[in-house]
Amino acid sequence: MTTTSRRSGSATAAMFLSAALVLTACGSDGGDADDKAGETHSVTADNGTIEVPVDPQRVVTIGNTTLPFIDMGGEPMGVTDVSASELGLIPEEQKATFEAATNLGASADQVDMEQLAGLEPDLILAQFPESEFEPLEKRLESIAPTVFWGLGTEWKAFADGLARAGDVTDELGEQKAEFESKVTGIQETYGEIIDDISFVNLDRWASSDPGTYSIADFGCVEIAQDDIGMDFPEAAEGQDPLGWTSLPFEQLAELSEYDVITYPVDAEGRPTEPFAPVVETNTWKALPAVSSGRALGVFCPGNNSYGPVLQYLDSLDAALATLPAKE
Amino acid sequence: MTALVLRHDGPGTVTVPGPRRRLIGLVVALAALLVLLALSVMIGSTAIAPSVVWDALFHPSDDIDQFAIRDYRLPRTVVGLVVGAALGLSGALIQALTRNPLADPGILGVHAGASFAVTVAVGVLGVRDIGGYMWFAFAGALVVTITVLGLGSTRRGQSPVVLVLAGVCVGAVLGGAREALQLTDPDAFDALRSWNAGSVVGRPLDLVWPILPFFAVALVLAFAVSGPLNAMALGDELALAQGVRLVRTRVFAIVALTLLAGGATAIAGPIGFVGLMIPHVARWIVGPHQRWIFAYSVLLAPILLLASDILGRVVMHPSEIPVGVVTAFVGAPVLIVLVRRTKASGL
Repeated sequence: MTTTSRRSGSATAAMFLSAALVLTACGSDGGDADDKAGETHSVTADNGTIEVPVDPQRVVTIGNTTLPFIDMGGEPMGVTDVSASELGLIPEEQKATFEAATNLGASADQVDMEQLAGLEPDLILAQFPESEFEPLEKRLESIAPTVFWGLGTEWKAFADGLARAGDVTDELGEQKAEFESKVTGIQETYGEIIDDISFVNLDRWASSDPGTYSIADFGCVEIAQDDIGMDFPEAAEGQDPLGWTSLPFEQLAELSEYDVITYPVDAEGRPTEPFAPVVETNTWKALPAVSSGRALGVFCPGNNSYGPVLQYLDSLDAALATLPAKE
Repeated sequence: MTALVLRHDGPGTVTVPGPRRRLIGLVVALAALLVLLALSVMIGSTAIAPSVVWDALFHPSDDIDQFAIRDYRLPRTVVGLVVGAALGLSGALIQALTRNPLADPGILGVHAGASFAVTVAVGVLGVRDIGGYMWFAFAGALVVTITVLGLGSTRRGQSPVVLVLAGVCVGAVLGGAREALQLTDPDAFDALRSWNAGSVVGRPLDLVWPILPFFAVALVLAFAVSGPLNAMALGDELALAQGVRLVRTRVFAIVALTLLAGGATAIAGPIGFVGLMIPHVARWIVGPHQRWIFAYSVLLAPILLLASDILGRVVMHPSEIPVGVVTAFVGAPVLIVLVRRTKASGL
């Protein structure tokens, strides 16, 4: 659930989706499922305006929609695979929901279309690279109404769209309220401390080349920057995200200019397995931020729906609480 | 070096430099290697003053820039030296053994065996760090080469042609199996994507030292068979007439090149062109004398590898290009030029 949504264009995407996600109820507003059976409304996403059931009963999720939909209380009947590492980060009941669904393939481009059609879904929710959608679009839409988002979609707009299309807006509303509350709490508690501090967020993934790391400017750090107001480096307008560039360990020494370093840890607070080689280097240990206790491990289970983001905010809150006042 | 260029005095005649000139050339190559070693420690993606480099090596302290020298540049320089020498010598061995100027260590399945073993280690056994799967790569290279040796053996011994065919077949089978595994396991795909590029970055010296004894054994074996390989270049019958023990020579040569190429591939991943190109350059300089070709290859290959690595550190700043990518870009045109300029690189 680490969609690499780019900062560049994310605000535009948010505005676009917020404005374009038009729901036109064609029937009554009654809460009874029976009343809504057969009724449709139109939803606008990256593949246009689609007529979908108001109360979908047989939902299939493909790609990055699976865990966010389950996080919002959805119960898909068919899913594509999720990595073991992602699955290990979600609550047990959500894992049970995932495992109860029919597995349709490892990824979007490997979906078993025959098996998918056999499930007779009334709605398909999909998020994966745009380049992979074009060859699948007609086949998916011939099976059921398909709502598709590309990977560049800003996460809040994506959550809104997913909740409305999949009819899980109640849970989303609660999550959004909790999110606002936590963000406000962090701003009020640490606002004065973080105002004058320069942060840098590092990351390293299982796919990273040995001896390299990245200054990550996408993922959970976008929430710290955009919603909380922390100052992290970001790519210049129109440039690729900083996180796309692998930097050799040799350049760790250049991080001395930052007051605070944030880096990825697991739920127990240990550096993530891919990042562990970084904290073992002598250069890391010699960094001023590290030696002065200003290297903060932050847990980011995902940034594509509110559930994992709330966990991230809890972790960030706890990490900032350890931050000594700037001398 | 220009003094050592072969001259074509007429049809069918090739003048090769004498022992003295070969020795001078070797000293020049050694000097060039020492310069490259120094440059490799001094040049990187971070600007560090030469005085800091000097202090890092001879007056160590906890200065953060000194760590960059001791922990990253020095190890990758040593890795470049060791891996380069191993690839160069293994390339010279395989070309002499198969009497094929287009042969490189991968032709006996070394790369295929190492890659397949790494895929199994990552995808099936869950090994994640390079220290873990390095030994799988080494074992994979050894096992596959021994298998190729077995498959390529006939009642009359090992024929170079049958050996190469066996290597190509086994390589194709393992390549298919590896791709199937990678397609079903994204983690294995990620690990192999990085490893397949061939790099000397992030290889701690602790992982390199255990491989060195294998290289030492291979070095002794290689020079031990250099004389018999000279005789075998004239054909098996003539070599037999000169008292060369063909089977023993081939087995020693294969063991040596497998240890060298397998070890180098285990440390750095598959790096192309070095093992193919450097023996051509060596042959171009010294003529068809295997012992000299081997000696030159041991010195020239690290020069190419270190120069390529230095180039890879600075051309895409702040990022770096894996040395395996650079050697392909640098090596291919150079090889074409060399082959077109002289027939001396032929066997």
